Amino acid sequence: MITRRKAAGLTALVSTGLLATAACSGTTAPSQGGTSGGSASATKGGTLYYLTKRPAEHLDPQRIYIGRDLANMNRLVYRDLVSLPISTDLKEGTTPVPDLATDTGTSTEGGKVWSFTLRDGVKWQDGKDITCEDLKYGFSRGFAVDVLTGGPNYALAYLDVPQKNGLPVYNGPYKKAGQAEFDKAVTCEGKKITYRFNKPWVDFPLAIASLRFAAPYRADQDKGDQSNYAIFSDGPYKIEGTWKKGVGGTFVRNTNWDPKTDSDKVRKALPDKIVFIEGLTNEIISQRLIADSGNDKFAVTDRRIPAALFSQVTGNPAVQSRATLVDAPFIDYVLPNFNRMKDLKVRQALAMATDQNAYITAQGGDKFGKPAKSIVSPALIGYKDNPNFTAPPDGDPAAAKKLLQEAGVAMPSPLRYTYNGGTSEVDNAAAGMKAAWDKAGFTVTLDPLTDTYYDVIQNPANNKSDVVWGGWGADWPSQATVLPPLFDARINLTEKSNGQDYGNYKSDAANKLIDEAATKPDVQSAATVYNQLDDQLGKDVAYIPLVVQKFYLLRGSGVTNYLQTPASNSYPELGAIGVSSK
Amino acid sequence: MFAFVVRRVLVGFIMLFVMSLVTYLLFFAAPTDPARFTCGKNCTPELVEQNRKALGYDKPVLVQYVDFVKGVFTGREYPDDPEVAKTAPQTVVHCPAPCLGYSPLMSQNVTSLLASKLPVTASLAIMAFIFWMVLGVSGGVVAALNRGRFLDRALVGTALVFYAFPTFFIGLWLYIYVAIKWQLTPVPVYTPLTQDPAAWLAGLFLPSLTLALIFIASYVRITRAFVLETLGEDYLRTAQAKGLEKRKILTKHTMRASLTPITTVAGIDLGVLLAGAIITETVFNYDGLGKLAVQAATTFDLPTMVGIVILSAFFIITANIIVDVLYAYIDPRVKYS
Repeated sequence: MITRRKAAGLTALVSTGLLATAACSGTTAPSQGGTSGGSASATKGGTLYYLTKRPAEHLDPQRIYIGRDLANMNRLVYRDLVSLPISTDLKEGTTPVPDLATDTGTSTEGGKVWSFTLRDGVKWQDGKDITCEDLKYGFSRGFAVDVLTGGPNYALAYLDVPQKNGLPVYNGPYKKAGQAEFDKAVTCEGKKITYRFNKPWVDFPLAIASLRFAAPYRADQDKGDQSNYAIFSDGPYKIEGTWKKGVGGTFVRNTNWDPKTDSDKVRKALPDKIVFIEGLTNEIISQRLIADSGNDKFAVTDRRIPAALFSQVTGNPAVQSRATLVDAPFIDYVLPNFNRMKDLKVRQALAMATDQNAYITAQGGDKFGKPAKSIVSPALIGYKDNPNFTAPPDGDPAAAKKLLQEAGVAMPSPLRYTYNGGTSEVDNAAAGMKAAWDKAGFTVTLDPLTDTYYDVIQNPANNKSDVVWGGWGADWPSQATVLPPLFDARINLTEKSNGQDYGNYKSDAANKLIDEAATKPDVQSAATVYNQLDDQLGKDVAYIPLVVQKFYLLRGSGVTNYLQTPASNSYPELGAIGVSSK
Repeated sequence: MFAFVVRRVLVGFIMLFVMSLVTYLLFFAAPTDPARFTCGKNCTPELVEQNRKALGYDKPVLVQYVDFVKGVFTGREYPDDPEVAKTAPQTVVHCPAPCLGYSPLMSQNVTSLLASKLPVTASLAIMAFIFWMVLGVSGGVVAALNRGRFLDRALVGTALVFYAFPTFFIGLWLYIYVAIKWQLTPVPVYTPLTQDPAAWLAGLFLPSLTLALIFIASYVRITRAFVLETLGEDYLRTAQAKGLEKRKILTKHTMRASLTPITTVAGIDLGVLLAGAIITETVFNYDGLGKLAVQAATTFDLPTMVGIVILSAFFIITANIIVDVLYAYIDPRVKYS
C-alpha cells in the first residue's frame, strides 16, 4: 500500500542496512547496534515483546513490503531459498547465505537463468515436506496482483513470460490465463527449481534474500486475500491463534522446524515466545521502555525515541545504555521539477543553498540523521559520495546567489516547494530550508500536502511545484533498486503518471548508463556503472540529497544479544535477540 | 405508542440509507485515488487500473452503491469474478446478508470486522457510562443541595477544570504517570470479558475513567442545574410544608423530575460513544470501532467507512428512540400518539 507519510511510507522497503564499510565506500562507518549491556550469552527461553505502532499491512509472504515485517517474518516464519546472515559487518551482512537451498544458486546465460536445489528435511509447521512445487506456487502468487495487492512486483517485469498492455499475460494461479507460459519460465525437476528471466538479473539472490516474493507457499493453504494474516510457517516459530491487525499476535515454537536444516547465522531462535503488540504511540512505547518494568524489561521496538524524550534518555546513564543509534536505510532528498527548473545554473544554485542541517535539526538533530552526500545509501554495495554536491551542510547562500546571477534570473526568484507535510517537525524542517533558499536569492512558497501528496506530485499535469520532497529506501542492497526506479524516464514517465520520477527527469546519457549497468555480470561491477550514473545525476542536479536517517531505539534491560543488522533493515534483529531468564 | 415507535424505526431505516449514500458520494468526491492504496512501491498506472477494476471502483458510483444495497439484503461474493469462482473457489469470500461489504485492506468482511471491534467499544462506553452517571449525577446532586457553600464551589470548579482539558491530554497523562511511572495500575490492555473478567475490569479502569471525566464534569453541572430548578418548584415546597422527609423529597420527587432531561442526554451520549471513542481508543490502543474509524479514513477503506457510518447512525437512532420511549414512562405527562 502506498502511504502518505515520509520515508516510512513510500519507501516502505528497505532491504539493506546501515553501515558503509571502508572496503565499499572509502568511509568508516559508525558501529551498528551492538550487543546489549547485559549477558550476551545465547540463552534460550523466555518471552520477547515487540512494541510497535504501525500495524503490519500484510503478513502474506508475497505481499509483505515493509522492511520491518520483511526482516521479522524471515527470521520467524518464512524461510527463503537464501537469506541474509546475522552480521553487523556490511559486506558479510549483505551477502546471501543458503537457507532452504543447498547453496546460493547457480546462474547461467549471463544471469537470465537461476537454479536452486532445495535441501532435504525442510518442513512446514504441519510436518509435511517443503517441495519444489511449493516454491513455484509461491512465486506464481506474486502475479495475482489484483487479488494479492501491495507486494513487490519485480518478478512481473523480469520473468520470461509475454507481456500485454504493460502487464504479463500470466495473472497468477487463480486464473488460467498464461499458465503454460509461466510453467515454461519456472520449472521443477525433483528438488531443483529453475527461473528464467527475460533479462539478466544478476542480483536475484540478493532480491529474494531481502524480499519474500520467492518464499514457498502451500497451495492448499491459499485463500487469496483472506490469507493476508494467515501465517503458515516453515521457520522456527508459528503463530498461536490468529494475528489481529492493529493488535498483534504471539509466536510460539514450531516443533516441526529442524535447526539442523537451518543455520544459527540466520536464526538462533532464542526466545520461546515472541509477542507483538501493535498500535501503541511512539511516546507510550518510549515511556514504557524508559520505565523498564514488568514485561517491558524484555521488550524491543522499531519506533524511534521522540525528540521530546531525548533528555530522559541521555540524562540517565541506565537508560542511555539501552539506547542505540544506527544509520537507517532511508534517504530524504528533494527533486527539482525539470519541467519548470530548466536552467542548470538555477538548479545548481538551489543545491548550493540547501541547508541540510536545518532540515535535520528541526526533526531531532543528530539523533534523526546526518547530512547525505548522495541519494544512494552509504550502506549499499559500491557506495561513493556524489562529488557534485560540494555545498557545506549549512548551505552556502553567497555561492548560490552568484550562480543565480550567472544564470541571469531576476531575484528574488520565485520557487514553490511541495512537500509531504502533516507534522510540526516536517513543517519546521521546510521552514528552515526556505530560510536558506530565501537568503540565496529565491523567494520560496511552502506547499505542504498530506493525503493528496503523491496524487499531486505524481500527476504529470502538476505544473505548480518547482521542487518536491522525496524519500527512499533500497529494496535490496544494490543501487539497482535506487537509481533506475527513480530516474529511468522510460519506466516512469507516462501520460498518466511520472511514477517515482517526481522531478520529471529525462536523460539519454542516464538511460545509457542504466542499460549498461544491467548488462554487468555481478553486483560489484554494476555498482561501478551506477557510480557513474549517480555522477551524471549530480551533474544534472536531478536531485539534492538531504539526510541519511538514523534509528535511535530503546530496548528493555532483560533483552540479550541485541543487534541491528543490514538483514534486519536496521530494526531489532530477531534472528539474534534473546531475553534473560525471568 | 406502538405507532410512534414503528414510525420512528421506519424513519431510522431511511436515514441509514441516506447516510450510507452520502458516505459513498463523499468518498469518491475526495481527490485521492483509493486504488493507489492497493499497490506497492512500484505502482504503475496499469497496475492501478487493474486493481481499480478488481475492487469495482471503475463502476459508476451509483452502480457501486446499488450493489452495496443489494448485498445488505442478499449477501455478496468477493471477488465478484465468475472466472475466479470457477478456477479458485477457495479464494472467494461469501459475505452473508446483511453484507456491509468486504474490506480489502483488512482482508475481512465488514460485518464480522465490526462485530469483532464492538465488544471493546461497548465495554469502554458502558464502563464510562457507569462512572459518569454515578459520579456525575451524585456530584451534581451534592452540589445542588449545598448550593453556595464550599462543597458546591469545589465540585463545580473541579468539573470546569476537567471539562477544559482535552481527552488526549488526560488519557496520556493517566497512562504515563499512573500506569507507567508510578505503576499504580497495570499497563492498560484490553482483555475480553469471556477470557478473564478480572483482567477485563482492571484493563478498563484507566481508559473508561479518561472517557468519563469529561462527561462527569458535564453531568455535575447539568444535574446541579436540573435539581436546583426542580427544588424551586411549588409542589416540592408543599411537600416540605406538609412535613415529608427530606430523603423522600429528594429521591421520590426531586430526582424523578430531574431525571427526565438527564435521561435524554445520557441516552444520546451513550449512543454516540458506542460508535467509538476515537481519541481514548487511540491513546490506550484499544482496538475498538473508534480506532477502526481512524484507520479506515486514513487508508481510504471505503467499505469499512460505510459500515462504521451505518453502525454509528444505528446506535444514535436507536438511542434516540429508546430515550423517547423512556421519557413517556418517566414523565407521565408525556404521551405519544
